[in-house]
Amino acid sequence: MEGEMLKGHLDMIVLAALAAGPAHGYAVIEEIRRRSGQAFDLPEGTIYPALHRLQQAGLLSSRWVTAESGRRRRVYALTRSGTRALVQRRAVWGQFSDAIRGLLDGKRPSDKPA
Amino acid sequence: MIAAYLDELANALRFDPALARAVVREANDHLCEAVESGPVGDRREAERRAIERFGSAHEVAAQFAVVSLARRNRRVGIAIVLAIVAVMAMMKARVAWYGFIQSTISDDARAIAATVLAIDRYAFWLSAVLGICALIQMGRYRMPVHMHADYRRHLYRSLILCAAATASLLVSVISDIVLAMLQTGLSWSSVSILPMMSLSLEIACVATAVSLTVTSRARVVRTEAVVRRQGDNPHS
Repeated sequence: MEGEMLKGHLDMIVLAALAAGPAHGYAVIEEIRRRSGQAFDLPEGTIYPALHRLQQAGLLSSRWVTAESGRRRRVYALTRSGTRALVQRRAVWGQFSDAIRGLLDGKRPSDKPA
Repeated sequence: MIAAYLDELANALRFDPALARAVVREANDHLCEAVESGPVGDRREAERRAIERFGSAHEVAAQFAVVSLARRNRRVGIAIVLAIVAVMAMMKARVAWYGFIQSTISDDARAIAATVLAIDRYAFWLSAVLGICALIQMGRYRMPVHMHADYRRHLYRSLILCAAATASLLVSVISDIVLAMLQTGLSWSSVSILPMMSLSLEIACVATAVSLTVTSRARVVRTEAVVRRQGDNPHS
């Protein structure tokens, strides 16, 4: 999938990946790849500015832990605000994708078959 | 190979050394895990693949530039509001002290004192309003992935509000010094000790606010210059 298309939705994608539970950057990337069926393939390093951006906006919290390997690792988790933001963005995305599907199919969303 | 890449990343993030240290640590963990989870084989090739998948150090740093500037801007806004609150507390302490020692302004100086007091009040409340507006302005704009003209304008608008708040606070503090001189003469006596201490704190607060505001604008310019130079020469 085109990288430019993804950039506009990266924050929502990251929030969705963390909905399953706290995770570090690499695990977030792997979760995104798995749940998207390998469709999303951004440069992995770009996940970190998104994580920092979301933390600064109060949607994520983070803490440093020591991994089994002995390396220091930063683990991110959704805050309450982050959970609310994800619910809102899911709803907006749902409306958007219905509208686009309607345009492409030539049907209005209310014309869906029973 | 990973070590060399991390050095390149740290250099690319040199506009924010504290952020650079944290990001390099995260990147190190990421790259090592990527190598360890990959197929067993040539370690050097595995590192090369992990770095390729991670992306260019310049591109990562360019996205972090926005994060760094937004964070610093917010800190400047909060620091200025705290300085305003601290100045207000010092003013209240002095007024309470004058009431306690029953100090009054001489008849000769009353007219001047009234004018200076009016300037002090208006300047102080103007700085409070501007400081709060600066914080609101900072919170209004959603941080973009990359720096662009609209976000740059937003950053500068926030800094202008911070500068205006600081300038008003400076006028207020100068008025406080004049009023304290009219009230107590600011001589080395027991009567003047508390006013002098409180005024010293006010001067420290406003000096901090001025310093933060001035350095913030310079930081925006410097960060953009670093990121732009790296874009022209990714291997610098």
